[in-house]
Amino acid sequence: MLTKEEVLHVAHLARIEVTDEEIEKYQKDLKILLDEVDKIRSIEDFDDDKMFSPTDNQYDLKRESVIVDKEQILSNVPKKMGNFVEVPVMINE
Amino acid sequence: MSKYLSLSLQEIHELLKNKKITPKDLVMECFDNIEKSNLNAFINVYKDYALSEASKLEELEVDDDLLFGIPIAIKDNIMVKDMKCTCASKMLDNFVSIYDAGCIDEIKRHHMIIVGKTNMDEFAMGSTSETSYYGAPHNPWNYDKVSGGSSGGSAVAVSSGIIPLALGSDTGGSVRQPSSFTGIVGMKPTYGRVSRYGLVAFASSLDQVGVMSRNVYENALLLKAISKEDKRDLTSFETNDDITCLINKPLTNFKVAIPKYFISDIVDKEIRDKILEIKTMLETNHVTVDFVDIKYIDKTAILYQIIAMGEASSNLARFDGIKYGYSYLNPKDLEDLYKKTRRYGFGSEVKRRIMVGSYLLSGENAKIYYNKALQIRDDLSKEFQKVFDNYNLIIGPTTARCAYNLNTNLDDPLKSFMDDILVMHANMGGFPSLSMPVGFNSEHLPIGLQIIGNRMDEKTIYQLASFIEKEIKDDFSEVRNGI
Amino acid sequence: MEYKKTVGIEVHCELKTKEKIFSPSISNYGSIANTNANVIDMAYPGTLPLLNKEVLSFAIKACHVLNLNITKDMHFDRKNYFYPDNPKNFQITQNETPIGTEGYVEIEIDGIKKKIEILEMHIEEDTCKSVHSDKYSLLDYNRAGVPLIEIVTKPCLNSGEEAVKYLEKLRELLLYAGVSDCKIEEGSMRCDTNVSISKTNKLGTKIEVKNIGSISNVGEAINYEAKRQEELLEKGEVLKEETRRFDDKTKTTILMRVKETGNDYRYFPEPDIPFVHLTDAFIEEAINDLKRMPDERRKDYEKAGVLPINIEKIIANKEISDYLENFLDTNLVIASNLLLGDIQSYLNKNSKTINETKLTNKKFHDLVNKLDKKEINNKIFKDILIDIMETDQDIDDILKDKGLNISFDENLLNDIIANVINNNQKIIDDYQNGNPRSAKALMGLIMKEGKGKIDPAMANQKLMEKLNNL
Repeated sequence: MLTKEEVLHVAHLARIEVTDEEIEKYQKDLKILLDEVDKIRSIEDFDDDKMFSPTDNQYDLKRESVIVDKEQILSNVPKKMGNFVEVPVMINE
Repeated sequence: MSKYLSLSLQEIHELLKNKKITPKDLVMECFDNIEKSNLNAFINVYKDYALSEASKLEELEVDDDLLFGIPIAIKDNIMVKDMKCTCASKMLDNFVSIYDAGCIDEIKRHHMIIVGKTNMDEFAMGSTSETSYYGAPHNPWNYDKVSGGSSGGSAVAVSSGIIPLALGSDTGGSVRQPSSFTGIVGMKPTYGRVSRYGLVAFASSLDQVGVMSRNVYENALLLKAISKEDKRDLTSFETNDDITCLINKPLTNFKVAIPKYFISDIVDKEIRDKILEIKTMLETNHVTVDFVDIKYIDKTAILYQIIAMGEASSNLARFDGIKYGYSYLNPKDLEDLYKKTRRYGFGSEVKRRIMVGSYLLSGENAKIYYNKALQIRDDLSKEFQKVFDNYNLIIGPTTARCAYNLNTNLDDPLKSFMDDILVMHANMGGFPSLSMPVGFNSEHLPIGLQIIGNRMDEKTIYQLASFIEKEIKDDFSEVRNGI
Repeated sequence: MEYKKTVGIEVHCELKTKEKIFSPSISNYGSIANTNANVIDMAYPGTLPLLNKEVLSFAIKACHVLNLNITKDMHFDRKNYFYPDNPKNFQITQNETPIGTEGYVEIEIDGIKKKIEILEMHIEEDTCKSVHSDKYSLLDYNRAGVPLIEIVTKPCLNSGEEAVKYLEKLRELLLYAGVSDCKIEEGSMRCDTNVSISKTNKLGTKIEVKNIGSISNVGEAINYEAKRQEELLEKGEVLKEETRRFDDKTKTTILMRVKETGNDYRYFPEPDIPFVHLTDAFIEEAINDLKRMPDERRKDYEKAGVLPINIEKIIANKEISDYLENFLDTNLVIASNLLLGDIQSYLNKNSKTINETKLTNKKFHDLVNKLDKKEINNKIFKDILIDIMETDQDIDDILKDKGLNISFDENLLNDIIANVINNNQKIIDDYQNGNPRSAKALMGLIMKEGKGKIDPAMANQKLMEKLNNL
């Protein structure tokens, strides 16, 4: 079972606020799910270095450019200032 | 009110062509159905838009396209310009699409009329549509039963006769499972046949737009209409094959495989018996039906969970209250904006999956889980391909049980995965897979047969499905008149 | 015993492709906010990344000039982290399979050559541009998705001077490869550096200095940082891994943040972009498109006798150097003097590039050759400079119009004179009878026939010779 700290770490990675009760619930739910997916460890080992594409096809080097929509691009923005998108001050920079 | 919409597409087309009716009549009838229905199939409907589109069509000559003027419902995770696209989430309750999905371009090109956006599980995560922010749809066969999911609204809209056709999306069975629960035909095509541009991503490497209809032929027609390489989706490919060409063609030298796992005791006995009945029927018609073993077939749910939740945790990171959608008001700071927006904007199933997905990719876990899952998935696909070397198709039940009561085990984190345990393989391998109704259980709820084909081989699936459809004597249209 | 500095450098360069890396928005600096942004750049739900093949081609060129091995089978990965300038809250980058590995750039300090080893180069997308007040930040998605290459050296540099040389050389190579304009002030080239000091072979604590505003500041930042660390160590303090920035005014480094242990980026392969196989033909096509690199050009200039100071002036101005590539068969000393001198002054004064003037390749070629053959001198050139740059006339016409140097075609003149003499016996007779106006009449006819192509003085002299010898 994940510790409370581990649940909080995951919640931080996912940027989801969790309450104390929710932490307990996540501990239980995540245990059930992780016990399930952990069964993958029992499947025989594969070549670790070989990477598999999630999809089957290969990128086509002859692919040409296309047009993609750009009208009303700011129409759904919750907070705008002029032509800019506004956010709370970015502290990290 | 007239009942043109219950006619076949060929019959409707004749009426349109001979100017006995107009597209507007169909739209009016459709909205009459919607207004009378209490099944909660739609999240938003667009009557004015639909009527105005219908009027525009009246200026045009009716061409030979059977889809001309036919109303269609679209799952609410597919972008239709100027319509809301909520994904059944509070997060996108106010979100208005500013562009058309690739498949919607094709729907519009075929002069079909979009009437509204259908109910679903929040961000397509679930198997009953009960995780919808707008409440669950009801199964037309029994109001207290689930519709299945996540494309539950689309399934209900078609099965209850509101509309003849609908689009859904299928990441791990989300078209086929509700089709099975509601007694309609649902197809998840080969990965890449239909553009994913404009389909809100759940698990990118598994997602595919699917088609839902009352019968096999109309299903193939709709899929043919939306199959198209889209330069805006690098995983889509060119398709020129006519997937309807084998419909109603005789099954000569036909071989079908049933994986033993599909009729093991994880499946309800009534459903197993029905599949065995189909087997006998096929054999009577000189089709070879063998039981086969497929390696990893019982491990698929594990792979699915890892890949689907891992990718989802990343795909849903973009919902952060900055660019669109719900945004927590007056946050203390940036972190508060992120965390409260996502806390209040997402429902519990979505949050749980994002949490697990984030964990599965964190630190060294990505190697242990995600990369390994991709490797085994590759092997699983090869195992299926080996079967297709010897058999035309694989068949089995779509679901292990029929539609069950609403509010059953809502809190069980594994439930929805277990509901889809027989349909995920097709998503894993990118194979086309169809569900069609083949009978009823003792509660008079539909039983679905699943047909899986090799990649790109939708036409053979439709060939077998059209054959079985003719042989099945049950009537799956009875709830269509109950509106 | 002295402390040894160990420095590693990470450089981000924007590739100047026409379109962004994963969307067809145009990629250009200085547009109105959020006008070069489409649904992909804004991470609209339902959108998928595309992949601009021009980016692959540019990255291959960069690999080639930095002597990197090209990874033919490569893919993109998602780097997951939340930040407002990261619209999808994941950045598409290359974690597992950087397009280039194990290369080097050769520098020279005081005549000693050194190879600066490059660990890897990968392709990724740029973030939004953000501006900040104390209450809010504002985002501009125009820059989101502009292609970047990140070039990471091994920790193999040992001084600020080496870092400066390395960056100057890197900048020159990327500029001449035509893949980036490498303008630090516009942010199209960004330098971060890791500095540690140690008295032993074991590396000291690594301290990162980010976003330094000019190449020379990188040198200063490294030297300052090494000195600062040395003073702390001498005081017996223990250094912590941290990120600092260079303050241009005080020429010091300032703490930004202490390094978080284990950034958890949850990398996994990007499922929306199929894996890429770079074919030999594709790689070859990109490399064949490269122009000659500066060192090769330096050799030619040197061989032609261009002064070292002028060689560096030419190389420092890629437009001039590229222009000279068309005239390698002319006198490069003259050609380069023209370009660095009067032509450059003209261009500066009129804020034009060569392409915006009427100076065609043929005109420049003629000009250099005429100066070389001393058919015109420098003074004449100066007199006609404006005409050269601003009219469609070729050099000969300009000279003729100005009467500065009229071409002299002796055969033509002889033919005309013979013709006139043969066809005008009456006037000849007059002349021989002593009528002085007859010679003038003949000259008039000659000039008429010559249609201004002949020099009157020369014609007169020739005519008189002929007449007197009749």
